[in-house]
Amino acid sequence: MNHDVAVVGAGPAGLATAVTAARAGCRVALLDSAPRLGGQFWRHGASESSGREHQAWSVFAALRADLLDSEVDYTAAAAVWFVESTPDGFRLQVTGHPPVRARRLVVATGAYDRALPFPGWDLPGVVTPGAAQALLKGSGVAVGARVVVAGAGPFLLPVATGLLAAGARVAGVYEAGEPLRYARRPGAIALGKLAEAARYAATLARHRVPYRTGHAVVAAHGESAVSSVEVGRLDRHGAVVSGSRRSIGCDAVTVGYGFTPQLELPLALGCGTWLDVDGSLVLEVDVAGRTTVPGVYAAGEVTGVGGADLALTEGRLVGAVVALASGRRSPYPDSVLTRMLDRRASQRRFARLMHEVHAPPAGWPSWLDDSTLVCRCEEVPLARVRAAVTDLGATDARTVRGLCRTGMGWCQGRTCGYATAALTARLGGRALTAADLVAYARRPIAQPVPLAELAGPADQSGGKRYRPA
Amino acid sequence: MKLRRSLPRPARYSGFGLLRHALGGAPWPPVWRRHDLRDRYDVVVIGGGVHGLATAYYLAANHGVNNVAVLERGYLGGGASGRNTAIIRSNYLTPEGVAFYHRSVRLYESLAADLNFNVMFSQRGHLTLAHTDSALRTMRWRAEVNKLQGVDSSLVGRSEIGSLVPHLDVSDRPRFPILGGLWHPPGGIVRHDAVVWGYARGADAAGVHLHQDTEVVGIDVTGGRVQGVRTNRGRIAAPAVVACTAGWASTVCDLAGVALPITTFPLQAAVTEPVRPFLDTVVVSGTRHVYVSQTDRGELVFGAAVDPFPSYSSRGSLEFTEGVAAHVLELMPALAPVRILRQWAGLCDMTPDFSPVMGPTPVEGFYVDVGWGTYGFKAGPVAGETMASLVATGKTPDLIAPFDLARFTDGRLVGERGAAAVGH
Repeated sequence: MNHDVAVVGAGPAGLATAVTAARAGCRVALLDSAPRLGGQFWRHGASESSGREHQAWSVFAALRADLLDSEVDYTAAAAVWFVESTPDGFRLQVTGHPPVRARRLVVATGAYDRALPFPGWDLPGVVTPGAAQALLKGSGVAVGARVVVAGAGPFLLPVATGLLAAGARVAGVYEAGEPLRYARRPGAIALGKLAEAARYAATLARHRVPYRTGHAVVAAHGESAVSSVEVGRLDRHGAVVSGSRRSIGCDAVTVGYGFTPQLELPLALGCGTWLDVDGSLVLEVDVAGRTTVPGVYAAGEVTGVGGADLALTEGRLVGAVVALASGRRSPYPDSVLTRMLDRRASQRRFARLMHEVHAPPAGWPSWLDDSTLVCRCEEVPLARVRAAVTDLGATDARTVRGLCRTGMGWCQGRTCGYATAALTARLGGRALTAADLVAYARRPIAQPVPLAELAGPADQSGGKRYRPA
Repeated sequence: MKLRRSLPRPARYSGFGLLRHALGGAPWPPVWRRHDLRDRYDVVVIGGGVHGLATAYYLAANHGVNNVAVLERGYLGGGASGRNTAIIRSNYLTPEGVAFYHRSVRLYESLAADLNFNVMFSQRGHLTLAHTDSALRTMRWRAEVNKLQGVDSSLVGRSEIGSLVPHLDVSDRPRFPILGGLWHPPGGIVRHDAVVWGYARGADAAGVHLHQDTEVVGIDVTGGRVQGVRTNRGRIAAPAVVACTAGWASTVCDLAGVALPITTFPLQAAVTEPVRPFLDTVVVSGTRHVYVSQTDRGELVFGAAVDPFPSYSSRGSLEFTEGVAAHVLELMPALAPVRILRQWAGLCDMTPDFSPVMGPTPVEGFYVDVGWGTYGFKAGPVAGETMASLVATGKTPDLIAPFDLARFTDGRLVGERGAAAVGH
């Protein structure tokens, strides 16, 4: 079947897009790699009760009800691993299912944690906040019994309170940014955000969890797994203030510095990108969510990391835009659309402020020593990345990749791409560019695909399956 | 000259040196150095891949010619030398081809010692499968030609194949059952980056200037004689210029007004996630258009024939990946759950007879080492050795005489298609 629009990703942005476009009469395909709706934000277990701890669960419940009511062709556990343009739209290759064709494509693939390397980050027990949250939300498992939560961004707070609710002890929350800087532009902050922050602060206080700003986990120690971390105070350049290092015992640590939008599909189609304030590679979109490639739209974190509220607004807007583009009537009157655009603008302003406050500390490379692994899959230490630039003459991230194999292992640069690109730029004495990040984000095969999936001819049910002759 | 002496030379790698660096903590000197462009070199080599670097290295090492510049548009080894699948073999079809590639295998065998740089040459054996009677007949022919040249190469049957590579499906079940194969024990794989770096280090130590990020934008020819090259960094005068480019040979030679019978096609390859080592041979199937090897790190590397259409695109395509997966699984059904991580493409300058173009050109002083199709990497050492000899002495070595440009006008083609179409 040929759909008017295929929406990739069933998190806040994708769900809102799909429901809105379907309400306007579009034939919508919604594809998501997870077994259940909701994306990372509303990730939940098999039982309904597992969702009660989530923020804005009622919003999700309403969207889900709308979706199940609608004609949206939703496929769960369907990872899109390849996209190509066809004369009449796009064809998506999907794991375990026949290809999906659609005239228009909405990219709502969200983002994953951005990791920065530090000595010991390859020890078991060092995870990203997103991983800790996924374990909690998806399986009700706390990542450790005594956990240090560190990194930058508001996301650390729900991770810490979630761990507390699951019975874990939180040995401390170490935020690299200075959230007091929010006060410089009070106009950009919605009241709801303040109330949310206050709730988190109260929970942390009740459990006597220390919350330090301008601090970072700069090393992890342990034999077979992490047993302690070193925390240090950062100066304004992000270097550790001498004498401020101290050790904290723990059996797990979550560290993440914001998010990296997931851009394999739009990059494969040639969509334009730019470097956001937080240093993330994001899609270039206009006010209507149109990318630089005709027929490709984007909503949510891929247009710039901004949280679930912004993703919902963008999803509804893009849903309306693709409906109009498909010759349907807008599901919203103009006045509502105008309000949504205003809302989006103010949510973007807040996101921008958030990025300024929680930017990855510029001095993070000073935490590393020569033997610190930059790329964990291929076990490439900092010394080899440096040698590629200073001894072998590499000037760009792609060349460094060719010379020392960073980003060529299992993660294909998802984990180490940002750090390697940033290091390359810094060692070369220049600023990080979008091109540096593209070198690690372009993956025509958007995720690892089993040979059987690639090989099988379509069988009678339309599914691809390899059968030995 | 004074300048060069003041620069540190790459030290010889040795157990003692390793110990000294480990204990003393002294930094290793750069493996190769940066230089300003000179106004004049005795020889300019265009292309900083394995062919260009080997040519420069042997010019200095074998002939004492070290006022040589290697000009590379990007970074050393960033073109076809970094995109090939690093298969080394000499079981070709024509006597000319076999003798030539045989010398290359010999050079590869001693390369690590010669360059004092571990190139990780693994002579694990190369197995070409036959699924049809005609393929079997060609293999029998190849085996005889190979043996006459002293190359270890023989026809093997199904049961022998089954014991060489237990994961191959040697039953009658596949649409094209395996009938036999050509077994070539000296064939294998090498670490391609190490070959590039080893030659670069050796050339640098001998005084050759390696210029990265230096693109040749013009070749000056006056009165039928080459005068030098123009680059994005300035003009260089040189009485001898050697084109050692792959993928762009026709455009580079066009700068000197030399037309080549070359069409450029993309060649794709793919690599899977690492799995436990199980495959210690290179397996090639011409009929199934695929070849497989396993790297030291456990990844499976797949390749195939060149794309069906000429182009300068180095992007992968879905058709290739799907095709290669289907063909691999016909050969080795057990690989069904192994996941592909990445695919890429490189450019191949195909000639009408699947043999290279090497030697002098109608422009005096302008030499070509091009047309390397899908077999350039394995010929790097011998191409460098012979081109260096040609440029230094003015005499064409016997090994490359059959591959001259004039063969296309004289009708002396060296038809290598039967041994080079898929099994690169």
